[in-house]
Amino acid sequence: MTHHPAIRTVGLIKDYGRHRALNGLDLEVRRGETFGFLGPNGAGKSTTIRVLLDLLRPDGGTAEVLGLAPRDAGPSLRARIGYLPGELHVAGRTPAGDALRHFAALRGGRGRDRIAPLAERLSLDLRRPVRALSKGNKQKVGVIQAFMHAPELLILDEPTSGLDPLLQQEVLSLIREAAAEGATVLMSSHVLREVEEVADRVAIVRDGRTIDVDEVAALRARAGQRVRLRFAEPVDPEPFRAVANAERVEIDGATVRCVLHGEPHELLRLAARHHAVAWEARDRDLEELFLDVYRLNDRTAARAEPGNGAAR
Amino acid sequence: MSPLPSFARVLRDHRRGLATWALAVGAITAFYLAFYPMMGQEMVDAVQGMPEGLMRGLGYDRIGTGAGYVDALIVGLLAPLLLLVHAIALGGRLIAGQEEDGSLELDFAAPVSRRRLYLERAAAAWTLVLALVAVLATVVVAMNGPAELALELGHVPAVALPLALLVGGFASVAFAIGAATGRRGAAVGVAAGLAVFAYVVRGVADATGNDLLGAFSPFVWLLGPEPLQNGWDWGATAKLALITVVALPLGLLRFERRDLGV
Repeated sequence: MTHHPAIRTVGLIKDYGRHRALNGLDLEVRRGETFGFLGPNGAGKSTTIRVLLDLLRPDGGTAEVLGLAPRDAGPSLRARIGYLPGELHVAGRTPAGDALRHFAALRGGRGRDRIAPLAERLSLDLRRPVRALSKGNKQKVGVIQAFMHAPELLILDEPTSGLDPLLQQEVLSLIREAAAEGATVLMSSHVLREVEEVADRVAIVRDGRTIDVDEVAALRARAGQRVRLRFAEPVDPEPFRAVANAERVEIDGATVRCVLHGEPHELLRLAARHHAVAWEARDRDLEELFLDVYRLNDRTAARAEPGNGAAR
Repeated sequence: MSPLPSFARVLRDHRRGLATWALAVGAITAFYLAFYPMMGQEMVDAVQGMPEGLMRGLGYDRIGTGAGYVDALIVGLLAPLLLLVHAIALGGRLIAGQEEDGSLELDFAAPVSRRRLYLERAAAAWTLVLALVAVLATVVVAMNGPAELALELGHVPAVALPLALLVGGFASVAFAIGAATGRRGAAVGVAAGLAVFAYVVRGVADATGNDLLGAFSPFVWLLGPEPLQNGWDWGATAKLALITVVALPLGLLRFERRDLGV
């Protein structure tokens, strides 16, 4: 039933006691796409993920995974999902290999034959007890059990956090390979940089609500460029402040800084009237845009709900 | 590959622990039984001087016989102390404890129903309890000759099964409360509190001869019929089984409906 999205939540609400963790969260992940689920710690990412796996029962709204309600479909739905938790804990002195064979056994043995090749690829020693492994090596155990049965849907909670760059790349290429074979991937992160390499689209969540969804390419265009101009002598600030597509214009004597969206034409014409001695323009990090979205959201939230501090 | 992965996993995790407990329980039981021929008569003489209520309360009125000695010291004192401590801790750990330390997160997210996970893990707890009671019973049987206990060996199962039902019953209470709440502290606290309360009630009931009070203590159900002397008491055995039969379904009912790992 490919006409269903891989994941759809509508108005999801989840309360922990008096704290509202999800406040009407909407999310739609299409089949076959790699989707970044972004937000600061405590925004509700893990809570959403745990609702999708039927570990938590929502207090309101609906969730659908591969066209099914997690609560009703239960085990048969979870058989089609690979899940990497934010933090992996394994009981006792269990060696990594035993733990992984146990996870395969819970899936009726599916993925058991991929444990060894994946461990070799990530260079994980299967004989060592999981408890004694470093954070990075523990993460490898989690990654292997999430990918080993080649699931239709991968739900990865902070898959690359705490990994060294080499290992991060290895995990990202596992994600690309799974996506190339048709899997849908939902990956959460609190840093955009970790998902922008592989994600097609991202959603940005905050305080249990989706505040922005866009394609990574479009986000990048929206992010604009950071421009710095230095002149031979101090300039009149007013014309620079008036440039229509320049934002956050800062003028410090002979130096002009701003964030530029779209064509640089107007700014360059203005600059040409003076004696420019240095010119620098670099693409803004999506990270910075990410922060913009938050700031913007803060202002709107403050306007819309002046008393919203009381909800938390 | 095991057809019962969760059950097999618990047993594998507790191999070492079980071996240690089996050794300790076996050794301590053997040690106490070895004293019977040496101090049997002295004990009887010493006990003669005690007030009758206290004597009965401790089950020492029959301490001069092998069956009475095993009832009073092993079934009435050592087993509750050692086996219940182990069983209640185990019951509290198998769902709530491991849920709290996060080591069940992937089992919960696996394609296994909550009911199945619950039942497999409860069965594993019971298997571990039965193994320890079997060790204890085996040591009693083995010491029958050397310690001159003169037990009717055919009656040993008649006390071993009720003992297992009592110990497994409190393990089930801890397990069920843990599964219902996800809180290991609550599970162990309530189960241990109930066990201590039941033990004290039995002492008071015996000392005062209050049968009504004693009717509510599983320890009276276990020791009252003196099964080592008299053989099976099916009524008392059924009452002991009731602890588990009531606790486990109630725990499951809540476990299937609540949020996990919060």
